[in-house]
Amino acid sequence: MNQLIQKLKNNDWTGTAFLLPAAIILSLFVVYPIIWAFLVSFRDIRPMEMRGIGLFTMPGEFVWLQQYIDVFNNSLFIKSLFNTAYFGIIYIPITLISAALLAVLLNQKMNGVNFFRTVLFIPYIISVVSASLIFMFLFNGDRGMINAVLMQFNISGPNWLADSLLAMPVIAIMSAWKKIGYFMLIYLAGLQNIPNSLYEAAKIDGANAFQRFWFVTWPMLGRITLVVSVLLMIDTLNVFQEVFVMTGGGPADSTTTVPFLIYNEGFQYFRIGSASAMSYILFVVVIVITLLQKRSVDKKLG
Amino acid sequence: MDKRKNTGLQVLLWTMCVIFLLPLYWLFVSSVKSDSEITRFPPTFWPEEFVWSNFADIWSRLNFGQTFSNSIFVSLSTTVLIVIFSTMAGYALSKKKIIGKNMILVVLVATMTVPPTALLLPLYFIITTLGMYDTLTSLIIPFGVTVFGVFFMKQYMDDIPDELIEAARIDGCGEFRIFLQVIVPLVKPAVTTLVIIEFVNNWNSFTMPLVLLQSESNYTLPLQLGIIASESVAIPWSQILAANLLTVVPVIVLFLVLQRQFIKGIMEGAVKG
Repeated sequence: MNQLIQKLKNNDWTGTAFLLPAAIILSLFVVYPIIWAFLVSFRDIRPMEMRGIGLFTMPGEFVWLQQYIDVFNNSLFIKSLFNTAYFGIIYIPITLISAALLAVLLNQKMNGVNFFRTVLFIPYIISVVSASLIFMFLFNGDRGMINAVLMQFNISGPNWLADSLLAMPVIAIMSAWKKIGYFMLIYLAGLQNIPNSLYEAAKIDGANAFQRFWFVTWPMLGRITLVVSVLLMIDTLNVFQEVFVMTGGGPADSTTTVPFLIYNEGFQYFRIGSASAMSYILFVVVIVITLLQKRSVDKKLG
Repeated sequence: MDKRKNTGLQVLLWTMCVIFLLPLYWLFVSSVKSDSEITRFPPTFWPEEFVWSNFADIWSRLNFGQTFSNSIFVSLSTTVLIVIFSTMAGYALSKKKIIGKNMILVVLVATMTVPPTALLLPLYFIITTLGMYDTLTSLIIPFGVTVFGVFFMKQYMDDIPDELIEAARIDGCGEFRIFLQVIVPLVKPAVTTLVIIEFVNNWNSFTMPLVLLQSESNYTLPLQLGIIASESVAIPWSQILAANLLTVVPVIVLFLVLQRQFIKGIMEGAVKG
């Protein structure tokens, strides 16, 4: 008790006042929603019960793990997991490798480095919606540029976004186009932290450019690569706007991702408990991936 | 030998630039084609005639003036709130003794991994219960501070020596004056960077407006674009893309003007984070 009083005495109250606005907003609109979704995922709520209740009352009936069981029995949810993985298999390697390579190329002294850096970064500041509209038209079956170019080589291009195998890769390529510049900058920041003496030592030992990359640059970028791959994984689990705009989840549910399904469950079918259960499964997946990757890198780098 | 390698590199990088800019080229070219040219197969690579009136047409058709000012209002107000509250919180967390500071920091880091879609429903419920549904306020106050912003400012404050604050206090500066006249001028570069990053984020925001807005007079630009793209077939593609171009141009101009701070901010955030 005395300790507590002592602590309260030591607390800087003006400091607390500075923290207060941020603390209120973050607890009400970030922390509380996380708790709310957790509690609601164990309940069966009809949309009507959501009306006119207090901020801290929980509507509906407590049903233990029923929502989670239902979610795992939902074939569309399982399909959406595979769709999300399909996206990741294309998006993550393309983005990671291109970003790392471009960063290495742009880390040299030569003319126009700043120009290239700026151009490659422009797609990142364009909104996902705008980018989706551009790519919808780029990959349009009979009016898009991609198929027009293919025509020049006498190949008749497919109707990309209406093909259940090709729609997801188009979305993945668009995301890669948008994000490569950003991750390239993160890699560049990492490259600039590698001491020059390492390269000089390698040169003296007779290492060629490729060996210098493979034995000096790449290992030194280990931590950054971890951060980048976690961020890419999180990107993968968050694909929503591009699906909403470009395909609406189709054709034949082939682009229905987990977030798109959560949106549909919550805001089209008003299945609140089920949407919350899916949200939490997604959340747990993100945490597990982050922790696993952190552990593997800590092991490697000590 | 070295020179030849350099030329090869230049060619490679130029090719990458062209590939990266092609979608934007296609956006521009398509947005100025006439209604008949845009539907032609195969498409033309350069417009036969430039129909600049596409921009004026879509502007009045979608009541874009209203949408535009909504977007500007929301993005500016949210950015101002984020910058003020994040700077204050960053200062408190960096320089002040506060009970449970470490726990606060851990909780904040943990919230960064939460997928945004997981928060859609609870945010919808909370914001509706607070009576903000279908107002522009619903996009401003709840998002008036970001965890990223708080951490970004805290990192900058950590580099400010404590002696500076101590000296100001001995000179008789009040707490509030220390913040305004000592701290804020020192973190100005960070503030600029945060302004750009948060403005662009809010300008591009789509999911929250989609969930929280209902009447068309409240729509923001990305919402309007997303909705016409996924629902309407009556508007010709050239005009949809013209509207898109109008949305994209402000952020690109902003970026080109302030790119140095933007790129510096992202790279610094990457190294420290």
